[in-house]
Amino acid sequence: MPIAERGYAHWDGTFVERRFPWWPITRLGIRLAFKRKFFKPVFAISLAPAVFFLAGIYMSERIEDFQFMFRGRNGNRLLGVDPAFFKTYFTFDTVLFLMVMLMVLAGAGLISDDLKFNSLQLYFSRPLRKRDYWLGKMATASFFLLTVTLVPGLLFILFKIIFSGSFKFLADYPWIPLSVAGYSLLATLFFALYTLLISSLSKNRRYVSILLFLVYIFSDVFFGIFYGIFHEPAFCLLSIKCDLQQVGAFIFRVRPQYDVPWIYSFLVLTAICSLSGFVLKRKIRGVEVIK
Amino acid sequence: MTAVIRTQSLSKWYGNVLGLSDVSLEIEPGITGLLGPNGAGKSTFLKLITGQIKPSIGTVSILAEPIWNNVRTFAKLGFCPEQDSFYEDMTGWEFLTRLLSLHGFSAAEIEARAERALRFVELAKDKDRLIRGYSRGMRQRLKVAQAVAHDPQIIILDEPLNGLDPLGKRKVIRLIKDFKEAGKTVIVSSHVLPEIEALTRSIVLLHQGKILAQGDIHYIRDLIDKHPHKISVMCSNPRRLAARLVGEPSVQNIQFGPGPETIVFETRDRDVIFGFLPRLVVDNAIDVEEITSPDDNLQAVFDYLTGK
Amino acid sequence: MPRNALRSVFSFFFFIGRKARKTRVFFLISGLPVLVALVIRASRLFAPRLPVDGPSLFNNVIMAFDLQFLILVLALFYGTSIVSEELEGKTLTYLTTRPADKTAIVLGKYAAYGLFLLIMLTASVVLSFVVMNIERLADPDAWTDMLGGLGVLALGLLAYLAFFTLIGTFLKKSVLFGLFFSFGWENVVQYFPGSTQKFTLMHYLKSLLPAASTGSPGKLSFLMVGLQPSPAAASIATLLVLTAGFLTAACLVFNRKEYIFEE
Repeated sequence: MPIAERGYAHWDGTFVERRFPWWPITRLGIRLAFKRKFFKPVFAISLAPAVFFLAGIYMSERIEDFQFMFRGRNGNRLLGVDPAFFKTYFTFDTVLFLMVMLMVLAGAGLISDDLKFNSLQLYFSRPLRKRDYWLGKMATASFFLLTVTLVPGLLFILFKIIFSGSFKFLADYPWIPLSVAGYSLLATLFFALYTLLISSLSKNRRYVSILLFLVYIFSDVFFGIFYGIFHEPAFCLLSIKCDLQQVGAFIFRVRPQYDVPWIYSFLVLTAICSLSGFVLKRKIRGVEVIK
Repeated sequence: MTAVIRTQSLSKWYGNVLGLSDVSLEIEPGITGLLGPNGAGKSTFLKLITGQIKPSIGTVSILAEPIWNNVRTFAKLGFCPEQDSFYEDMTGWEFLTRLLSLHGFSAAEIEARAERALRFVELAKDKDRLIRGYSRGMRQRLKVAQAVAHDPQIIILDEPLNGLDPLGKRKVIRLIKDFKEAGKTVIVSSHVLPEIEALTRSIVLLHQGKILAQGDIHYIRDLIDKHPHKISVMCSNPRRLAARLVGEPSVQNIQFGPGPETIVFETRDRDVIFGFLPRLVVDNAIDVEEITSPDDNLQAVFDYLTGK
Repeated sequence: MPRNALRSVFSFFFFIGRKARKTRVFFLISGLPVLVALVIRASRLFAPRLPVDGPSLFNNVIMAFDLQFLILVLALFYGTSIVSEELEGKTLTYLTTRPADKTAIVLGKYAAYGLFLLIMLTASVVLSFVVMNIERLADPDAWTDMLGGLGVLALGLLAYLAFFTLIGTFLKKSVLFGLFFSFGWENVVQYFPGSTQKFTLMHYLKSLLPAASTGSPGKLSFLMVGLQPSPAAASIATLLVLTAGFLTAACLVFNRKEYIFEE
C-alpha cells in the first residue's frame, strides 16, 4: 500500500444522492448566530417594523376608532393597505438597514471564519460538493433575511384578510402574494450573496463587519453627494438601497421614486451578485484540497 | 538554593470554573517539568506566573517581587506561549528585532542578540522569510528564540514540543538542556511524560487545578509501582500461559479477556515479569501476537493517584 | 514610564502597520473623496455650468463627507483594533511579557495608528482640495481654509480614535457599539436643539469650522444645519480634554483588566 500524504485529502468517493446535504451547515450556522451576544436583541429589533406595519393593518380596518390620530386628514388614505403599503415596508430604510445589521452579526463570519481556521479542508474532505457548501452558507443568511421579508409579507396578507373578514384585498390585488414572494427572494438573494462576497474577502471578521456596513452606507452617501450636485436621478444606481427601492417599486407596481428604468437597478444588483459568485468560486478553489 | 519562583495558595477561577486551586510551591534554578493532562491547569499556572492573568486568591513572586504589572521583572523573564500566533506579515528577523527593541537595547545590541538567538534555534538562514511561510517546527523554534533572545534569567516554555516532529523535538530538547547548562531557570510544561523525562527529574504534576505530586520523577514512578501494573498478552493458547503464570510469585491477578485469545495479569514487578516472559512463551511453544501494558501511560498514573 | 518604551512600541506598530494589508485597504477608502472630486471635476468638462463652484463643493461635499463619515470609519476601525487585534491574533502575550509598561503599549500603538490615519487623511484632503480648487491654488486664503478644515478633521480623528481605543479595551463587540455610536448617536444627536447636541464630539468639531465662527453659513451650509456652536477655544479645550480623558481611561482599563484568549 502506498504511503498516503499527510494532511486532509479531498474526498474521492462516489457521492450518494441525499436530500439537502447542505442542511447541517445551515443548521450549525443558525445555531451559532443565536449563540452570539447581542444577536437576539438585534434580531428582535429587526422584527419591530413588521409589528408596527401589522398594527397599521389593524388600524386600517378600525379606522373610525383611530380617526382622532389623523386630525382632519384622510385616515383611509394614510393607512390604506394597498401595494404601496407593501412596497413601503419592503423598501423601508430602517428595514433594509436592519437587514444589513443582521448580516453583520450573523453573516460576517460565514466564510471568513472558515478561511481563518482553515475549515474548508474539513468540509471538503467529507462527501460535500462545493455547491452544497455555498447553498449551506446561503441558506444560513437567507433564513434570517426571509424572516424579515417573506414571513412578515405573508403575515400582512393573512392578517389583512382576517381583520377585513373578506378576500376583497386578494380579489383587488391577486398578484400581491407573488410580488411579496418575488421581492423577498430578490432581496434575500442579493443580501446573502453580498454578505458572502464580503465575508470571503478577509479572514478577519471585524474587517468584514465594517466592510458590510461601509459599502452599503457609502453607496448611499455617494448617491446623495452626486444627486445633490448634479440633480441627475441616474445616480441612484450607485446606491444599493435605491436600487432595491426601484426594483421594489416595479414589483409592487408602484411609481418609483426616481425616473430611472427599474431594469438598470436590477442589472446593478445582478452585477453585484455575479461578482459575488465569481469571487466565491475563486476563493473556495484557493484551498489545495478543493478540486 | 533560593527559590526563583514562589507561589502561595495560588488559586484562579474563570467564573464558576476552577482553573487552579491552592497551589503553593517553590521553583528553584534548573529545569522543572510541569506535567498534567489537558485541562489540568498548566497553562493557567504559567499565565499566572508570567503576569498574564491575576490570581483570584494567593500570591506569585518572581525573584522575590510580585509579577502583575511589574515591568522590571519582565526583563528577567522569557515566555514561550502555547498558542501558535505571530505577526504573520513580518520576517523572523523583523519579529525578533522589534520585540528586542521593547527591552530598550541599542540597535547594535539588538542585532547581535537576534543573530545569536536565531543561530541558537537554527533559523539563521530563514530569518528573512515571512513568518507565514514558516513550517510548524520553524514557528515553534522562533517562539523559543523570542523567549531567550534577551538572555533572561528565567525561561518559561508552555508546551514547546507541541506539533513538532521527532527531529524537531530533539532539537528543542537539546536547546532546553543548553539553557540549564547556562545557569537559567527553566520551566517546561507538557502533557507527555517521556518528553519531560528526557529533560529533567524534577517535576510538578497538576490535575484538576491541584498539585497531585511534586518532586523527583522517580518518586512519581514509585507511586506507580505501589499499584500493580497490568500486562496484556494476546496469544494462541492463553490458558496454557495462564497455567504457567499462576505459580509465579510476582503475578498477582490473572483475568481472561477482553478478546478470546487474551489474558491480562497484574504484577508489582514488571521488570521481573519481562525478564522471564520471553523464555516462558518459547519453552511452552506459545505463539504470542501482542504484549501490551494497558496502564503504562499518564492517564493510568493519574487514575491511580486520583483513586479512580 | 521610560520614554524608550513608548518610542519602541510606536516604531514597532508603525512598522507593522506599513506592511499590513488593512493599511492599503483603508488608504483606498480614504481616497474615495478624491475619486468623488475627480468625477465632479471631470463632469465639469462636459457640463461646465454646474450650479455650484469647486471650492463650494469642496467645503460642502468633500469636507462634509470627511467629517461625518470618513474620520469616523477610520477611527472606528483602527481604534477598536488597538486591543482587539492583539486578542484576536493572540499576540498580546508578546507585548505584555516585555519590560514595556502597559500604558506605553496603548499610547504607543495609539500614536502609531494616529500617525497613519493623519497621513491618510492629509493625503485625501489635500488631493481632493487640489482637484476641486485647481483654479485657486495660488490663492493663500484657499489654502488657509483648507488647512483650517484639515486641522478640525485631524482633531476629530484623534478624539474619535481615543474614544474607540477606550471602547476596544473593555467591549468585546466594540465594532457593533462603534457603528451604533458613529452612525446612530453622533449623526443624530448632533442635530438636537439646545445643550443636548453638546453630548456629541461632532458638535465641538463643527463649532470649530469657519462658518460657525463667522456666522455666515454660505460655505458650509450643509454642516451648519441645527448647530448652536460653542466658542472655538472651549471646543478645542473640550476635545483635547476628552481625548486625554479617553486615553487615560483606556490605559487604566488596560492596566487593570486581564485578557483571556478565546480557545
